[in-house]
Amino acid sequence: MPAVSPTNVRFSTRISNRLRGVSRLSPTATAGVVIILMFGILAIFSGLFMTHDPVSAYPDRILQSPSAEHWFGTDSNGMDVFSRVIYGAKFGFGIAIPAVTISVLIGVPVGLIAGYRGGILDEVLMRIFDGLRVFPSIILALAVVAATGQSLINVVLVLGFLDSPVFARLVRAEVLTLRSSIFVESAVAAGNPTWRILFLHLLPNSIQGAMAQTAVRAAWAVRISATLAFLGVGIQAPTPEWGAMIRQGAEFMVTGQWWVAIFPGIALIFLVFGLNLFGDGIQDILDPRRRVSK
Amino acid sequence: MSLLSVSELQTHFIFHDIDNQLREACALNKVNLTLNRGEVLGIVGETGAGKSLTAQSICGLLRPPARIVGGSVKFDGRELLSLPDDELNAIRGADIAMVVQNPRSSLDPLTRIGEQLVRIHQTHTGGSLEISRQKAMEMMQAVGIPDPQGRFTAWPHELSGGMAQRVLIAMALMNSPKLLIADEPTTGLDVTVQAQILDLLRGLVSRFDMASMIITHDLGIVAHYCDEVAVMFAGEIIEQGKVRDVFLKPAHPYTQQLLAATPEQLHLGTKNQLGGQPPDLFNLPTGCLSQDRCPLATNTCQKKPPMVKITSGHNARCHFAKPLKTSRGKKNG
Amino acid sequence: MNFSQFIFRRTLMVIPLLVGVVFLTFMLVRVGGLDPVGLLAGPTATAEEFDMIRKELGLDQPLWKQFLIYAGNVVQGDLGESWLSNRPVLEDISSRSLISLELLFWGIGLGTLIGVPLGLRAAFNPNGRFDQTTRVMSLLGFSIPTYWLGLVMLFVFFYLLRWAPPGMGRISLMVSPPDFITGSYLIDSLLTANWRAAHSAFAHLILPVVCLAIVSAAPIIKQTRAIALEVIASDSVRYARACGLKTKTVRDIVFRNSATPIITFVGTEITGLVGTMSLIEYVFAWGGLGQYGLNAIVRGDFTAVQGYVLTLALFSVLVFLVVDIIIAIIEPRSELT
Repeated sequence: MPAVSPTNVRFSTRISNRLRGVSRLSPTATAGVVIILMFGILAIFSGLFMTHDPVSAYPDRILQSPSAEHWFGTDSNGMDVFSRVIYGAKFGFGIAIPAVTISVLIGVPVGLIAGYRGGILDEVLMRIFDGLRVFPSIILALAVVAATGQSLINVVLVLGFLDSPVFARLVRAEVLTLRSSIFVESAVAAGNPTWRILFLHLLPNSIQGAMAQTAVRAAWAVRISATLAFLGVGIQAPTPEWGAMIRQGAEFMVTGQWWVAIFPGIALIFLVFGLNLFGDGIQDILDPRRRVSK
Repeated sequence: MSLLSVSELQTHFIFHDIDNQLREACALNKVNLTLNRGEVLGIVGETGAGKSLTAQSICGLLRPPARIVGGSVKFDGRELLSLPDDELNAIRGADIAMVVQNPRSSLDPLTRIGEQLVRIHQTHTGGSLEISRQKAMEMMQAVGIPDPQGRFTAWPHELSGGMAQRVLIAMALMNSPKLLIADEPTTGLDVTVQAQILDLLRGLVSRFDMASMIITHDLGIVAHYCDEVAVMFAGEIIEQGKVRDVFLKPAHPYTQQLLAATPEQLHLGTKNQLGGQPPDLFNLPTGCLSQDRCPLATNTCQKKPPMVKITSGHNARCHFAKPLKTSRGKKNG
Repeated sequence: MNFSQFIFRRTLMVIPLLVGVVFLTFMLVRVGGLDPVGLLAGPTATAEEFDMIRKELGLDQPLWKQFLIYAGNVVQGDLGESWLSNRPVLEDISSRSLISLELLFWGIGLGTLIGVPLGLRAAFNPNGRFDQTTRVMSLLGFSIPTYWLGLVMLFVFFYLLRWAPPGMGRISLMVSPPDFITGSYLIDSLLTANWRAAHSAFAHLILPVVCLAIVSAAPIIKQTRAIALEVIASDSVRYARACGLKTKTVRDIVFRNSATPIITFVGTEITGLVGTMSLIEYVFAWGGLGQYGLNAIVRGDFTAVQGYVLTLALFSVLVFLVVDIIIAIIEPRSELT
C-alpha cells in the first residue's frame, strides 16, 4: 500500500494524521504535551483562574481548611492557597524556560567547539565537567546560589550555567562522530571558514539529541528551583512560588494543616511529571528501538 | 518426503508510520524450497534479498514488526508455523541448529565455552552432566579445536574468530541436528580460515548425514561447497537447481548478470550491467519483481512469470528463461 | 595482573582526580564572591577589625597561596573550624558521616532491590501493560520532590495513623541509644539485644528509608530497563534464542550481562542521591552529614561548607573506585586474570 504522498491530501488531514501517528507512537509524549499546555494556560491566564489575590492576607482567616470560599484553604498568613498555587505556575515556566535556554546557549556552542577542535581545550573542558560530576547537583546549585545572592535572576543564571555541561556533552559526542564524515570533509576542502562549518553543517546534525533533552532538563530546573526555595534560598515568602509555599507549610504537616504544603506539592509534581512525560516520549519517537510497536 | 519443505512462505513487515499510515513491506514473497538429508543447499543473493529472513522465518525467530502472513514450513512431517513458541524452542538448537555470523559476539561472554556446550546439551537432551561433558569434548575434537581439555574452561573473548566459529559449529552438533542452517558463517573471517571452516562444515554434513543450508552472498562459496543453489531476489527465489546446472547454464537474466559480475568475467565487458535500485518492498510491481532492472523486460513481464523448468531439478522464474553458457561453462567444457 | 597490583594501579589513577576535587572545592566556595569576612565580622566591625579577620583567615594572601595552604591542611586532616559550632570541621563531619551512611545504605539498598527486578521485568515484555505502567510510575518517581514526599509520609503515618514516631532524629528521645559498635543504632541494638532501642531505631528508620528508596528506585528502574533492552537485542541473546535455550536460561543470561552496566549506573546515581538524602535528613532531623551541610550552606558557614563539599566529593570518588573494583572482579573480560 503506497504511503501518503504530500500533494494529494489536504493539509488539515495531513496534520491530523501526523498527530495521530505521533500519539500512537508515543502516548506519553501526547499526555505530556497536554499537561504542559494546561499549566501554560494557567501561567499565562492566571488572572482568569484565581479566586483571590495571591498576595493578599486575610488576618482573620489563618490556616483555614479547604472550603467553598477558599478551595485549597488558607496558609499561616491568611492567604488563599488556591490562588497562590495557580500563580505559582508563572514561576515554574519563568524559571525553567530561561534556565534551559541559557544552558542550551552555553552548552551547544561549547560542545561544538570542543568536539570539533579537540586538543587541549577539549581535554581541559571534559576534565572539568567530569570533576563537577562528583558533586551532587543539588548541593552544587545550593552552594553557588547561597554564595552569590538570593534573587530570582541568580537562580536562573546558576541553574542555566550548571546544566550546560549536559548539552555540551551531548553535542560534543555527536560532533565527534560527524567530524570525520564525508560531508564535513568536503565542506572543509571547499574552503569553508570554521564558523560556517560549525553552525551551518555540524549544528543541525548534532543538535537532535540535545533538543530531545530540553524537556527533561526543564523538569530538572523546575524541581531544583523549588528545592532551593524550600530550603529558603533564592526565593522567599511571601512569594507564591511552590517550593517556598511547601517550606511555609512544612511545620504544619505534623499538626494537621496539610493543605498548605500538599497542594503546591501536587502542582509541582504535575508540571514536572508532564515535562518528564514529554521528554521521555520525544526520546521514544526519535529512537526507533523504543517505539510502541503493535 | 523431504526433511524440510517450505512452500509459499510470505513474511511481511507491518507497522504504522509517523503519519499514522499502515505500511507493509513484502520481504518474502512466496518462497518455495525443499531440502533432504545429506544435501547442502546454498541460498545466495544480494543484501536485502531476504536470505537471513528465510532462515529466521523457518526457525520462528522473527522480531516484530516482521510477521509470517502466509505459507507453510514442514519439517520432519510437522508444520512449524502452527507450533507454539515453546515447542519451536525445543526444536531450535536440537533438530534444527543454526550457525551465525559474528561468532565471538554471539557466544555468552560470561560463560566458559565448555559450560555453554554442556548447557545446550542439557537443555535439549538432558541426562547426566558427565555425559554432556564427554559429548562436548567429542564435538570440540570433531570441529578441530586443539587441546579440548584445556580449552574447555576458556572464555569466549579469549578465542580467535575462527576458533569461535568452530565452537558455534560444535554447539550446533551437540544435539545431533537433522538440519544445520549456516547464516553467513564465514563473513568477517580471514580467507584462509574461511576455507577451513567450510571444509569442516562440508565434512561434518556428510559424516553426520545432516541436511544443510548455507546462506551467503559469496558465489564462490556456493560453487565450491554446495550441491544445490537457490538464487534470491526481492524476497523471491528466482532460480534454483543443482549448482552445476545453475552456475554453468544460468537461465534467469538476474543470475546471468550475477555470475557475469564476478571479477573473472569483467574482461568480457558484458553489456548487461547490474544496475538500478533494489525494488521498493512497500510498493512491489505487479508481475515480475525484477522488471525495473532487467534488460530483457517487456510488457509481458507485467504478468507474473511462472517457474519455468529448464531441466530436471533446475527451474527459473522468468518468461524468457533460457540457459546461457557462461565462460566457466566454456572453460570446463 | 594480580589483585593487589590492580588495587594499587586504580588507586594511583584516582589521585589526580582527588587533587582536582580539592581544587574545585576550593574554587567553588570562592566563586560567588561570598565574603566570609563580612559574615564573620558582623555589621558593626571597623575597617581594622575587617583586616584583622581577613589576615587571620589567610584571605589576604594571593589565591594560589591560599590554595596551597588549604591543600596542605587538608592532607594533614585540618579542615578548619566551623564558625557556628566553633568545633573543628573534621570532628563535626566524622561524627556524622556514619549516621548518613546508614541511611544511604538502607535507602539505596532498598531502592535497588525494588528497582532492578521491576526494570528487568519491564524489559522482558516491552511495551506491554506492565512495562507501560512501570514507566509511568518511574517518571512519576522522578517528579516527586523528596522533601515533599517526606512531609506527606510524616503527615499520613505519624499524624493521621500514629504508626510512625515524629520525624525527629534516629531514636526516640525517651530511649537511650545502644552502645557504640558499628554506629548504626539499629544494628548495634540488635547486636546487644536491646530490643527497646532496636524497635525505636527501626521505627525512626522506616520513613526516611522508604522515602529515599522510592526516589532512588525511579532512575534505577528506567536505566535497568534500557540496559536490559540493549542486552536483549545483542548478538549473544539472539544466538541464545536460536539455540533454543529455555526462557528462564535466556533471562538469566540477560540478567548477568546487564549486571555490569547496572552496577556502574548505581554507582553514579549514588552521587546524586547523596544530595537527595541531605534533604531527607533535613525533613526528618536525622542529625547526619546532609543536614549539617545544608545548614552550613544556608547560613554561610564557610569552612564547614568547604569541608562538607570536599567530603561529598571524596565519597563519590571512593564509590567510583569501589565500583571499578567490583566490576573488575566479576567480569571475566577485565584486566584481572
